[in-house]
Amino acid sequence: MTNQVVKQTGNDESRNEPALLPPVDVIEDATGITVYADLPGVPRDRLNVRVEGDTLLIDADLVLSVPQDMQASHAEVQRTHYRRAFTLSRELDPDKVGAELSQGVLRVHIPKAEHAQPRRIAVEVA
Amino acid sequence: MKLDHIRHGVGALWDSVAEGWDRLRQTTAGALTRYRPGDKASLPTADEVDDASYIPSASWAMLGGDVFEDERRIIVRLEAPGMNKSDFDIQVQGDALVVRGEKRFERENTDGRWRVLQCAYGSFLRTVPLPAAVKDAESRATYRNGVLKVELTKLMPGKPSVTQITVH
Repeated sequence: MTNQVVKQTGNDESRNEPALLPPVDVIEDATGITVYADLPGVPRDRLNVRVEGDTLLIDADLVLSVPQDMQASHAEVQRTHYRRAFTLSRELDPDKVGAELSQGVLRVHIPKAEHAQPRRIAVEVA
Repeated sequence: MKLDHIRHGVGALWDSVAEGWDRLRQTTAGALTRYRPGDKASLPTADEVDDASYIPSASWAMLGGDVFEDERRIIVRLEAPGMNKSDFDIQVQGDALVVRGEKRFERENTDGRWRVLQCAYGSFLRTVPLPAAVKDAESRATYRNGVLKVELTKLMPGKPSVTQITVH
């Protein structure tokens, strides 16, 4: 379990209200980890990505852009809040988190701290 | 260290249970949509992904869909994140709206390891039954924030029709 860079947590204390758990892709490479999350219907100003201690938190609200006076004849979307939390390992640098949102897909990149990055050591032939 | 193992196990279990339950309550059976990756899709192979439940040949996703109507219009809203506008094919076929699309797998870094791969990629088809006949010429579709919105005009303006059926 030592090579586990990002862990999912239940995070029960923040679950006071029911929320949707968005599906995610997580890739780890030499420079850090990148998380992709599907958040359809979320505008940029209703997205909140933050790091609290060693936890990466994604909170978002989807906005139904439909006139209020229309009658729903079929509705599958009933909840409008997304939440997902990840525990970050110590080798990641939480001060350098970058996030972007495009067509309902959030991309969060967290680089590894410099001391955890792979280094090339030159060997001189004597 | 041992305690960490156990904690992680419990956390993962709790997450998957909560996910299944949330998803079930959020959606009806119609929202479950199959995605089939095309030949050109460069999805990672199973040995590049740590997620044991990952199958590269097919994946499923919940495409949340809503249908709204008033006396003149019908609005269909479909959640389909991560698409290009040009990858939608939208048709009105009889009394149904047929939405086809392809969500491409485009990732800049390929030399890493996929720890989790839950999002669905590939071609999908979703048929949404319409509550009334519509004018084909007056349809309009927009795609914003990963949500497709199709506005249709009713052929015969009127209140949503309800037929009462008696149980004998």
